[in-house]
Amino acid sequence: MTRMRFLTGTGIVLLLIGGAMQAYRPKLESPPVTAEIQAPDEVRQILRQRCYSCHSNETKLPWYDNLAPAYWVVRDDVLEGREHLNFSTIGAKPEAVQRGMLFESVNTVQLGSMPLPRYLAVHRDAGVTPDELATLRHYLATPPAQSAAPAPAAAAETQFQHWIASNGKPMGTQPDTQVQPEWNGVPFLPEYKNWKPVSSTERWDNHTMRQILGNDIALKAIADGKIDNWPDGTVFAKVAWLQQPDGKGGITTGAFQQVELMIKNSKTYASTEGWGWGRWRGDDLKPYGKDAAFQNECISCHEPVAHSDHVYTAPIGGAQ
Amino acid sequence: MKQLFAAISVVLLLSGCSPNPPKTVYPQLNREAEFRGGLSWNPRSGRVITSWINPGGTMTTLYGDDTAVNYARSHADGAYPAGAKLGAVTWKQQEDARWFGGRIPAQVASVEIVVAGGPYEKYEGSPLAAVPGSDAQRAQFLLQQRAAVMP
Ligand code: HEC
Ligand code: HEC
Repeated sequence: MTRMRFLTGTGIVLLLIGGAMQAYRPKLESPPVTAEIQAPDEVRQILRQRCYSCHSNETKLPWYDNLAPAYWVVRDDVLEGREHLNFSTIGAKPEAVQRGMLFESVNTVQLGSMPLPRYLAVHRDAGVTPDELATLRHYLATPPAQSAAPAPAAAAETQFQHWIASNGKPMGTQPDTQVQPEWNGVPFLPEYKNWKPVSSTERWDNHTMRQILGNDIALKAIADGKIDNWPDGTVFAKVAWLQQPDGKGGITTGAFQQVELMIKNSKTYASTEGWGWGRWRGDDLKPYGKDAAFQNECISCHEPVAHSDHVYTAPIGGAQ
Repeated sequence: MKQLFAAISVVLLLSGCSPNPPKTVYPQLNREAEFRGGLSWNPRSGRVITSWINPGGTMTTLYGDDTAVNYARSHADGAYPAGAKLGAVTWKQQEDARWFGGRIPAQVASVEIVVAGGPYEKYEGSPLAAVPGSDAQRAQFLLQQRAAVMP
């Protein structure tokens, strides 16, 4: 009997606290939908149902998300989610950017990082079903009507001639022309081209080919099988070239597109997941981005592999 | 009352007692794509000259020793100094389980080694074993591949 009374008492107290919490209610605006993602209906339908609550201006919350403090958490997720990816405005961006974001979306779903796991823990039926995932994949696996034009062969030729002429002495004997560090201060390391091979990828999503290279510290960690927490001093380089069809059904490396670095230092780069991120584009190696915020792109997209120290590549051993 | 409890537990869960993201990706070596068997020279001990994708789902990376790489990165003619070593490793491809949109190496399909002014060797199978015979045309093809630009 007393137990019952205690429970009722607690219930009433909780109700009162809960009620009081509802008084603090920062607004969650719904700005207009200006340019929705361009995609077929069946694709949009899935995104609407699974992702729009956080990644669009058409947020619809179930009643229990409208109760504080859940409301406060969800509101933060929505605001942050919109900032990273907004399907209500992304339609204004070039088609390649929209497709790129859809590839990233499929990958976050496959790797279990979207919808947010803490959201799924509560909204149990909110996840993307295997059928829905298959629909998204099928759409992306079919090339768009006017598929990306092959990289212009003439430009690649000019670039090559210029490169062998200027860079043409044996490596190490000629200091490289001064390349600017990234906006976040991460230095360009010209010696990347002499590092050992880690793996390679053909990227059919954006028509490039990549080589992943590693410095000596990376190679030693691979040889020792200690790759769950890369030692400080590890550096990876990823070099990307445009695909150039060879006219016989094969693809060769076309023009150089960019080189990216990930430099491990758990202290210096503590605020960016322990890695220093940099990307230099074009044969003049121009630092990517407008300011240091460029690195948020890198970190977001490498987040689904946080459990492998933010490294995507599964290294191929035996390169000593 | 039941509804109230449901609401309260939702509220509690959302406000902090949330689970960590699922561990879907573990650090992993791509063991499948390593060499098995003896080679006269390990091309992957060298540096990258270039790479290409073959029709039919295989991918090749061409590596070279110091002499080969230094020459390839400064000349377009493929006239390597005698003794320069090049090695082409061809892998079967697999979908990158971590990135829909990428293909990465699976098992090694073949390893070819060519020495400028010297022999051409080809290895196939698992473990890799030398295939008898030479192929002058193929050796020439490998020597003629231009280096990929790495500024
Ligand atoms: C509960 C809110 C929520 C839901 C639902 C949700 N997301 Fe997210 N999403 C976020 C937040 C917050 C971020 C940014 C922080 C992070 O990555 O954890 C984010 C980041 C992303 C990013 C990274 C964007 C970038 O900056 O590069 C992608 C891609 C993404 N979400 C895709 C999806 C997809 C696809 C769905 C639906 C299947 C989805 N999200 C559902 C909240 C959500
Ligand atoms: C859209 C997703 C995405 C973004 C954005 C991104 N990466 Fe990556 N990154 C990948 C994937 C996937 C790989 C695996 C190799 C491949 O498929 O090309 C990778 C691999 C790498 C590697 C080789 C080591 C590894 O993790 O496998 C480096 C270095 C790298 N990225 C640097 C960067 C930098 C620097 C930035 C930001 C300027 C960046 N990345 C932005 C997806 C991304």
